[in-house]
Amino acid sequence: MMHRFSRELTLAVTILLLMLALAVFAHGYFSAENMADLFLENMPVMIVALGMTLTILTGQIDISVGSIFAVSSVVAAVAARAGFSLLTSALVACCVGALCGALNGVLVAYVRVPSIVVTLATMVALRDALRWLTQGAWIGNLPDHFQWLGTSQRSFTLATLLLLVVLIAASALGLHNLRVGRAVYATGSNAAAAHRVGIDTSRVTLAVFTLTGILTGLAAMLNATRFNQVPSNSGLGLEMKVIAAVVVGGTAITGGSGSIAGTVLGVILLGSIGTALTFLGVSAYWEKAFEGAIILGALSLNVLASYRARHRKEALLAV
Amino acid sequence: MRFRLGESRLFANSEGILLLALIAQVAFFAVTAPAFLTWGNGFEILRFSVELGLLAVALTPIILTGGIDLSVGSTVGLAAVVFGVTWDHGRLPIGVAILAALLTGLACGALNALLIARLRLPALVVTLGTYSLYRGIAEGLTHGMASYTGFPAGFLQLGQGYLWGVVPLQLPIFALVVAAYAIYLHRSIHGRALYAIGFNSEGAQYAGIPVAKRLAWIYLLSGTVSGLAAIIYVSHLGLAKADLGTGYELEAIAAVVLGGTSVFGGRGNLLGTLLGLFFLSILQNGMHLLAMPSELTGVLTGLLLLGVVSADRLRSKRVGAAPAPRWKWAIGAVAAVTLIALVFVVRQKATQGSAAGGQHRMVIAVMPKAKGDPYFISARAGAEEAAKELGAELIWDGPTSLDASQQNELVESWITRGVDAIVVAVENKGSISTVLRKARAHGIAVLTWDADAEPNARDFFLNQATPEAIANTLTDEAARLIPGDAQFAIVTGALSAENQNEWIADIKKRVAERYPRLHLATVQPSDDDRDKAFAQTQTILKVYPQVKIVIAISAPAVPGAAAAVEQSGRKDVDVIGLSLPSICRAQIHSGSIQTIVLWDTRNLGYLTVYGGWLAAQKKIASGATEVDAGRLGRLVVRGTEIILGTPLIIDKANVDKLNF
Amino acid sequence: MGTQIEDSKIVLSLADIQKSFAGVRALRGVSFELRAGEVHALIGENGAGKSTLAKVITGDLLPDSGTVEVFGNSIAENSPIVSRQLGIAAIYQQPSLFPDLTVSENIALALETGGGLRRVYWKARNQRAKALLERIGSKLDPWRLARTLSMAEQQIVEIAKALGTDARILLMDEPTAVLTEREAEHLFGLVRRLREDGVAIVYISHRLEEILASADRITVLRDGERIACRSASDVDRPELIQLMVGRSIGSVFPKRTVPIGDVALEVPGAFSVRRGEIFGLAGLVGSGRTELARTLFGLTPSGSTIEVNGRPVRIDSPAQAIREGLGYLPEDRRLHGVVLEMTIAENVSLASLATVSRHGLIDTTAEESLAARYVSDLRIKAPSVNVPVGTLSGGNQQKVALARWLVTTPRVMILDEPTQGVDVGSKAEIHELIVQLAEQGMAILLISSELPELLGMSDRIGVMRGGTLAGILNRDEATQESIMSLAFGHSTGAA
Repeated sequence: MMHRFSRELTLAVTILLLMLALAVFAHGYFSAENMADLFLENMPVMIVALGMTLTILTGQIDISVGSIFAVSSVVAAVAARAGFSLLTSALVACCVGALCGALNGVLVAYVRVPSIVVTLATMVALRDALRWLTQGAWIGNLPDHFQWLGTSQRSFTLATLLLLVVLIAASALGLHNLRVGRAVYATGSNAAAAHRVGIDTSRVTLAVFTLTGILTGLAAMLNATRFNQVPSNSGLGLEMKVIAAVVVGGTAITGGSGSIAGTVLGVILLGSIGTALTFLGVSAYWEKAFEGAIILGALSLNVLASYRARHRKEALLAV
Repeated sequence: MRFRLGESRLFANSEGILLLALIAQVAFFAVTAPAFLTWGNGFEILRFSVELGLLAVALTPIILTGGIDLSVGSTVGLAAVVFGVTWDHGRLPIGVAILAALLTGLACGALNALLIARLRLPALVVTLGTYSLYRGIAEGLTHGMASYTGFPAGFLQLGQGYLWGVVPLQLPIFALVVAAYAIYLHRSIHGRALYAIGFNSEGAQYAGIPVAKRLAWIYLLSGTVSGLAAIIYVSHLGLAKADLGTGYELEAIAAVVLGGTSVFGGRGNLLGTLLGLFFLSILQNGMHLLAMPSELTGVLTGLLLLGVVSADRLRSKRVGAAPAPRWKWAIGAVAAVTLIALVFVVRQKATQGSAAGGQHRMVIAVMPKAKGDPYFISARAGAEEAAKELGAELIWDGPTSLDASQQNELVESWITRGVDAIVVAVENKGSISTVLRKARAHGIAVLTWDADAEPNARDFFLNQATPEAIANTLTDEAARLIPGDAQFAIVTGALSAENQNEWIADIKKRVAERYPRLHLATVQPSDDDRDKAFAQTQTILKVYPQVKIVIAISAPAVPGAAAAVEQSGRKDVDVIGLSLPSICRAQIHSGSIQTIVLWDTRNLGYLTVYGGWLAAQKKIASGATEVDAGRLGRLVVRGTEIILGTPLIIDKANVDKLNF
Repeated sequence: MGTQIEDSKIVLSLADIQKSFAGVRALRGVSFELRAGEVHALIGENGAGKSTLAKVITGDLLPDSGTVEVFGNSIAENSPIVSRQLGIAAIYQQPSLFPDLTVSENIALALETGGGLRRVYWKARNQRAKALLERIGSKLDPWRLARTLSMAEQQIVEIAKALGTDARILLMDEPTAVLTEREAEHLFGLVRRLREDGVAIVYISHRLEEILASADRITVLRDGERIACRSASDVDRPELIQLMVGRSIGSVFPKRTVPIGDVALEVPGAFSVRRGEIFGLAGLVGSGRTELARTLFGLTPSGSTIEVNGRPVRIDSPAQAIREGLGYLPEDRRLHGVVLEMTIAENVSLASLATVSRHGLIDTTAEESLAARYVSDLRIKAPSVNVPVGTLSGGNQQKVALARWLVTTPRVMILDEPTQGVDVGSKAEIHELIVQLAEQGMAILLISSELPELLGMSDRIGVMRGGTLAGILNRDEATQESIMSLAFGHSTGAA
C-alpha cells in the first residue's frame, strides 16, 4: 500500500523544498536561535492541533479553541496571582479547557447539534463573556516564578520540546495502537457501523472534544508562562490556524482518515511561512494571501493524487 | 399556482420556535427599551441588517446543500478594495467601479465554484483557504494606503439616504435580492434541484440533475452578492477598506443556522434565514437602546443559538415517539430566553435605579474605538470619575473589535434613545460623519476624542495630541537614544489601521526632515496581539541585525516587542512606543522599554464626559480661547478643538506616579 | 432431523413483541422461537415487520412491550453490545463497513471487546482476518481499504465478521441480495456447516427457493403479525406466497409477445435493443452490468459513442442521457432511486421538472396532479402525494422511482434489479408494468441477478463476464445452465 503515506510524502517534499530555498536565500534562518523561537511560537498551535486532529477524525470540528485558549490563560493567571502553585494553576487551566470542551462535546454527542453550530456559539459566547468580565484588563503582577515556570528560558524550551515530543508520540501511538484510537477512526468513518460493533460513539465524541479542551488549556498555560503578564484577548484566530494546519496535513474534513504525522507537517509548513517571508524580504502585506494559496495548493495536490487513483480504477471497468 | 413555502415546509423546522422567540423579544424590548417601537428605529434596524442580510441570504442555499462559504466576509473586503482602487486610483466613473466590485465578487465566487463544484473539494476547507486568500489580496493591494474615501454624494445616498424620508435606500435593493432568491430557491427548477442535492446529492445526480453546475451557480451567486454587499457597505460607511466584512461570515452563518437551516443539508428556507437575521439585529439594537454592554449581546447570541438549535434537535428526536410536546419545547425555549434576558436587565436596572434620583439626569454617551483595549479601559476610569462628579449618567459602549459600521449603529441607537451628548473616538472619519451630523440635527451635542471626524460633523474635538506631535515625539526620542547612523523598525497594529498608518507616514516625514542618519528597515504588523508582536520582533532582530531601536505603535505591541528583545539577550536594542504605563511598568523598570509616549488617558476620559456635559448645556461660548474643565483646570480652546496638553514622555522616573 | 430440532433447546424466544413508529404499529404482538441447530426462516412482504423484528433481536431497537429471552434469561435492556455479548451476530442486507479502514480492521473492530486502553495487535488482527476469510473461501487481501471493495466483497467481510464472533445465534437479513449465485451457493454451504455445529440461524429472505432449500422452519409475518410458523417440509411455494400476501399469486411471468420495432439503442460491437423488446442482461455481480448501465446513462462517461434511435451520440451526463430519451432505474433504490426526504410529488417530477414548470418556475398544482395520476396508475399506496417517500414501503418506493422515469417518456429504459428487495405483490405488479411499457414500444434493458426473472421476462439475454459481453442468447436457447456457463466462462457447471 504505497499510497497510504502519499499525502504525508507530498507535504514533506514541499517542506523540504521550502527549507532548501530558505537555506540558500535566507541567511540565518536555520540558526539554533531562530529554530528555538519558531518552535516556541508554534508550540500552542501544535498542541491544539493534536486535539483538533482527533476532533476532525471523528468527523466533527471545533472552532471555539481560540476562545477556550483565552479563557484558560486568564483563569490560569488569576489562579497564579491568587497564590496557587504553578502546577495547580496549570491544572486549573486544563480543567477550564476540559469543562469548555466537555460542554461542546455534550451538545454535539448527546443533544446532536452539529459541531460547527455548537462551537460557533461557544466561540462567540466565551470570548464576549471573557471581555465582559475582564473589561479587557491584562493580568499582570504575576509571581516571579510564573515566567518560564520559574526556570531559565533555555530549560523551559527544552522541557516544552520534550513534552511536545511526548504528546505527539503519545497521540500518534495512541491513535494507531490503542483500541480507543481505532474507535476514533471508526466513529468518523461510519458512525452507524461503529455503534453496531459496540463502540459508544457519543462517548468517543465527548472524549475528543474534552481532550481538545484539555490540550487547549495546556497550550494556553505554556504560552502564558512565556511572558510576565497575560492579555485577555489572546488566541484570536487560533482556530483558523489550527484547522488549516490539520487540513493541510491531509486529514479529511469528513472524518475517518488522516494522521498525526500529517498534522505535524502541516503545522511546520504553515508555521514557518510567515517568518520565512520576512526572511526572504517579502512584504508582510501579502502574508495572508500566501497562507490561503498554500491551503488551496495542498488541497489541490491531494485531489490530483486521488484523481489519478480513481482514473486508474475506472479504466479497468470501462466497457 | 401555489407557494409551497407556505405549507409543508414553513413550520417543519425551528421557525415556529424562532417566530415565537422573535415576538417575545420585540414585546420585551417594546416594554423596556426607550423608543424601541418606532418606525424610525425599525427602519434603522433594517438598514443595519442589509449587508449581513445579503450574505445570509446568499449562504442559505449553500448551507442547504450541505456546503458552507467562509469566504463571504473576505470577498466583501476584496470587492470593496477593488471598488476603491478603481474609483480613486483609476479615476474611473462610479458605475465602472460598481461593475468592477461585482466582477470581483463573481471572480471570488468562481474560484470557490471551480474548487468545490468542479474538483469536488470539501467546501469548508476550500473556503477556509479563500477566506485567507481574498483578505490577503485585499491587504496586499492596499498596503500603505489605509482606505479610500471621498466618494460622490450621489453614491453615498445609496447607503445613507432615505426614500420618502424614512425608508433607507438600500432596503429596496435588499428586498429585491431576497425576492429573487425566494423565487430561485422556492419556486424555480434550480431551487428544487438544490433541495434534492441537499438531501441526497448522489440521488439527485441519478435523476439527471447536473449537480456540479447547480452547485457552481450558488457559489458564483454568493460571490456576486458579496460584491453587492460590499458596494452597499462602502456607500453606507463612505469608505472602502481591506478589513471590511471581517467576521461577517460567522455572523451570517449564525443567522442562517438560527433560522433552522440544517448544516447537514436539505432542511431550511429563506423565511427562516430572515427570521434569524432579524432576531439577531433586533437583539443587538434592543441591547444598545437599553445601554447594555455590547459583550452581553455576544454572550446572549451564543446562548440563544445553542438554545434554539438544541430545542429543535431535542424536539425532532422525540417527534417519533410523541408528536405532542413540540409546542412545549417551543414555549419552554422562549420562556427560558426571556427569563435570562429579564434577569440581566432587571439586575442592571436595579443598579442604575438605586443611583438615579428622581429628576432628569444628563445622559452622556461615550464611545471608545474598541472595548477591551487597555488604552480605552484606562480612559473609562476618568470618564466615570467625571460622571460621578457631575451627577450625569454615563453610557460607555463601543464595538467589541475595531469595526466602523458598529460605531455607526451604536450612534444610531443613541440618537433613537435620546441622549444629551455623544462623544466618539472615531475609527474612521469618512464613515461616521454622516451619522454624527444626523445626531447634531437631533439637537444632541456631538464631540469626538482620540481621533477626529470631519469638522462639520461635530461640535468639538477633544485633542489629546496631534498625530504629528506623537510621531515627532517618538522620532525625537529614538534619535536621542541612538547616536550615529542606525536602522530602526516599526511594529504597527493592524495593517489597515488608519491612525497608525498616519503615524508611520509622519515618522517617515520627520526622519527625512531631521534625521537622515536613521533608516527605516521594515514595518511589520502585530494585529494588536501581544504574542504576534513578540514573534514579529524576534524575526526582525534576526533578519535585520542592524536594527537598534524598535518603535511599537500599538499598545499591546510594546510589551510584546520588549519581551522579544529581552529574551533574545540583545542589550543593544531599545524599545520605545505608544502604550500604557499599566502594561509596560515592569519592563520599563527592568530597562527593556526605554520610553513610552502617551498623554494622561485618565484625564482624557475625564474630559470626554466633562466636555460632553459642557457642550450639551452650550456652556462653551463660540470663539472662547479657554474653558474650565473641572479638576483639569483651564484648558486651551483652539477653534473647535479643546487641547488636553502635550504628550507625556514616560520612563523609569515617572512611571510609578501614573495610575493608568 | 426434524425431531432432533424439536428436542434441542430453545436459544431465543420472543413473546408478544409490540413496536410502533410514529403511531404506526410495525409489530403487533409477535412471538418467535429459535432452537439450537435450526435454520428458521422469516418471510413476509416488505413492511411486514421482518427487519423490525430482527432489530429487536439485535438490540438496535427496543420493543414497546413484550419479552426477549436468550438462553432462558430474560433480557431487560437489550442493546447491540448486550446482544453481542450474548452470542448474537447479524448480517444485514446492506453491508455497513468503515470505508476508511482496512478489511482486517473492519473484522477486528467487530470482534475485539473490552477496554479502550488495550493495545491493538496488528499482526494478530491480520492473521485472524485471513483465517476467517479463508473459512468462507475468499482470498480477499486483509490490507485493502473497505472503500475499494465491491458490494459482494463487502458482504463477504460482513460474513467473516459474524463468523468471527463464534455466535450461537446468527441473524441473516437478506444476505444474498447482493451476491451472485455462486457466492450464494457458497454461503448456503456455510449455513449448513454452522447449523451442524449447533448454531441457530434466523434467515430473512425474499427468495423462496433459497428458503425452501435450506430452512428447517418458516415463520410468516404479515402486517406486523405472525401468520404462521411451519416446518419447511410441510409447505410449498404457492402456499407460502398465499400466506405472505393473503391471496394467491401465480408465479408465472406476464411476458406477452409484442411486435419488435426498429433499433432504439445500439452499443457498437456489443448489442442492440429494439423498440418493444426486453433485453435481459445477466452476469455475476462485478461482471460490469451496473457499470455498463452507468456508462450508458452518462454517470461515468467513457467518451465512446453509442447510437440512440439510429443517431450516434456521446453521452457525458445523465441530463444529456435524459434528453436523448434514456431512463435509468438504479440498483440502489434508497440511495439513488428516490430522495427519501422529498415527497412523492417532488420525486416523481424530479427528472422532468421542465414539464411541470413555466418560465423555469414550478407549478405545484400541475406537479401534484401529475404525481396523483401516477400514484393511481401504478397503484402506489400512500395517504397523499405530499408525504415523504421515506415513509413508504420498499415496493411503493420502487414504484415512485419508476414513475419518475415514466414521466420522461423514455424510448430506452434501463432497469437495474427492479425487483430487488421488493415484496411478492409489488414484484408481480412491476413485472406487469415492464411488459406494458414494452407493449407501448419502449426498448427495455433489464439487469437482474434473479435468473427466473430474466428468463421469464426477456426476449433476448446478454451475458456479461469480466467487463465485456460474453454472449447473447435468444429466448428459446436461454436456460439457467446456458446463462451460467457463459457467465462463468469455461468453468461450466461450477455453480
